[in-house]
Amino acid sequence: MTANTLYIDQDRGFQRLNPLTKLVISLFLIILALVLPCMWAGYIVFLLAVVPLALWGGILRPLWSALWKIVLPFAISMFVIQGLFWTGGTPVVALGPFSLKAEGLIFATRITGRLLAIMGSFLLVSLGTAPDDLMISLEQRGVPNSITYIILSTIQLVPGLQARSEKIRDAQRARGLETEGNIIQRTRSMLPLVEPLVLGSIIDVDERAIALEARGFSREGDKTFYRTVEDRRWEQTLRWVLAVSALFLILGRILWPFIGRFLGGG
Amino acid sequence: MIDLENVAYAYPQATEPALRGITLHVPDGQFLAVVGGNRAGKSTLSYVLSGFIPHHFKGTYRGKIEVAGMDLTQASLGEIAGVVGLVFSNPFNQISGARFTVEEEVAFGLENMGVPSSEMPGRVAKALEMTGLSEMARRSPYALSGGQQQRLALASMLVMQPQLLVLDEPTSQLDPAAKIEVFEVLDRLATEGGMTVVLIEHELEWIGDFADRVIVMHKGRIVNDGDPREVLADEALIEMGVGNTAYTIAARQAREEGLIAGDQALPVTLSQAVDYFEGSLDRR
Amino acid sequence: MERLKKDFTTITFALIVVALAINIVVGTIVFQTKIPFVYLDQIGTVLVGLVAGPWAGLLTGVLTNLLWGLLGNPGYVPYAPIAGVIGLMAGWFGSMGWYKSWWKWLLGGLITGLVAALLSAPITAYLYGGVTGAGTDLLTGMFRATGSSIMEAALGQGLITDLIDKTVSFFVVWLIIKALPTTLLSRFPRSENVLEASDLDLDSVLDQ
Repeated sequence: MTANTLYIDQDRGFQRLNPLTKLVISLFLIILALVLPCMWAGYIVFLLAVVPLALWGGILRPLWSALWKIVLPFAISMFVIQGLFWTGGTPVVALGPFSLKAEGLIFATRITGRLLAIMGSFLLVSLGTAPDDLMISLEQRGVPNSITYIILSTIQLVPGLQARSEKIRDAQRARGLETEGNIIQRTRSMLPLVEPLVLGSIIDVDERAIALEARGFSREGDKTFYRTVEDRRWEQTLRWVLAVSALFLILGRILWPFIGRFLGGG
Repeated sequence: MIDLENVAYAYPQATEPALRGITLHVPDGQFLAVVGGNRAGKSTLSYVLSGFIPHHFKGTYRGKIEVAGMDLTQASLGEIAGVVGLVFSNPFNQISGARFTVEEEVAFGLENMGVPSSEMPGRVAKALEMTGLSEMARRSPYALSGGQQQRLALASMLVMQPQLLVLDEPTSQLDPAAKIEVFEVLDRLATEGGMTVVLIEHELEWIGDFADRVIVMHKGRIVNDGDPREVLADEALIEMGVGNTAYTIAARQAREEGLIAGDQALPVTLSQAVDYFEGSLDRR
Repeated sequence: MERLKKDFTTITFALIVVALAINIVVGTIVFQTKIPFVYLDQIGTVLVGLVAGPWAGLLTGVLTNLLWGLLGNPGYVPYAPIAGVIGLMAGWFGSMGWYKSWWKWLLGGLITGLVAALLSAPITAYLYGGVTGAGTDLLTGMFRATGSSIMEAALGQGLITDLIDKTVSFFVVWLIIKALPTTLLSRFPRSENVLEASDLDLDSVLDQ
């Protein structure tokens, strides 16, 4: 398994779930976090669903470690910017000439919770699913092999390219080119990277395409599978249940104002 | 197996043709080697034999191109894939990237061809065994050495059981040890027989060992065609940029300096050279 | 529909892989060297749109952001449709021949930047509370203090960066195409966007 995938392979129940199930669960949780009207919706979804699932898969620590790094910059910006500069807001805490507005703080709290839930759900998929298993499952469901080829091949290509770029940049850093200087100098220091990395890779596309053709890539007709990914009956049922529920939730959210008016007025 | 008649071709944006009228007939099961200097048209020939000219490279062409009874200009690349295999020099670019393990990478072609799943494990195992990669089956293709990757490319083609296998300078980007790894696989192919092979190579010593026949290309034409020992010993090859093997040069020198009498054919391989020199020693 | 099939050849798929990898690697480098006002994470997308058509460009853009998600940066995923639009527009401008005159091509970049900013603002406003976690959020603060809505502020903040970034990206793609061998370019489905085709007349040359 190449180093670049996030997938943490453990023999746990969560990992053993079919990749499509994990995908559907994740999407369901995202929809839940977006659709529930309560301010704490995100936190609820995160604590009651994302965390337990992560625990089940033994990936809670890496998930949290990745998650807070992603969410923190947004959270800080939101609390500061929307807190301080909420148009016509009700001041709550005074900070010198400025004041934090209640509406801004409420807003920031709500959105931060949602981000935790959404990004957390996403990380559940990327940390808990082997990409090739996911792609094979999709192919078994009819996704064209060209799409799955693109994703898997890119995942494998990136580390090598990144390593080569690191080598070039290390050489430049040793010469002090990169970290110093103004914008122009720093931009110029990046140019020697472009040629071997970018042009070389594009020129290789020709031979890579030939190799694909030689392996029958463009052949029309049904493809068969060397290995398949197991899909248990109860998982398929679960996926249907979640998909239908998600639909109801979305419809409910859209129609909620009308339902409310109907109930209130009738 | 191969029937080319008067094939001419020019790449797009080109100012001159790369092939100027090639006529070539290759019977089933023959191991044909192709030599020539730079720009002689060898790679172009390999693409013609595998259908990439004209389908991939476009450009303008003329003449009849038939392999295994199939008109390659009419068949699609997908149809040709099962019949003609192609291995070229860059090992890295031949890894599809579509799979995470060596054995799945080898099976990739079979999946595309719709081969029944039950047949796959056996064919994959055999291809890995022929190329000496059985122990690497679960490793990532990107973790392999250059020689191993090139053997993987070979395995990926052999597993599809093509009728014609074309190899365009398969060892030119490999270090000497890796070259030997690949030649050993080709040796096995040559001795087993059955498959028609076209090998484009610069390593003349090896060609002498396995080829049934050699053709020489120069400036888009075939300028010589025949038995390896005759064709490769030709001094004219040196001017064309192909060269002669060390054995040939040594033997020619020895003859010119009168150290060896007689008009025995010059050797092109090690074993021929040994016979040549031993033979003349006996006569003295 | 026929055009679609012709755009998505094997070489297109192979190109998309490399384009995606370039997007990710160059985007990472730019992020780490903290060059302001640019992201340069859609260069591959613009390239694919130009030489393989708008739909291939669309696919490349969408997959770029999805891949960031798979590789550990889910923050970019919601912007996938916008990345798709960037590829789409690069393809449209390419098929209108805009690549062939430098000022039209850069104008294309500018317009794409504008559209990208317009389309990103709602997503930034709705999902990310109107901020991006970067220094430009101070601009957002300014807009908000003077009475703009969250979305208007998000738009204002994104506009400058997107305009510059997309124009520079288009320019970089222009440089890349100029540096690539014409034989390679001739093999892409929309090679007419960047080349004048010239095929040799064999009959006259070989005069049999």
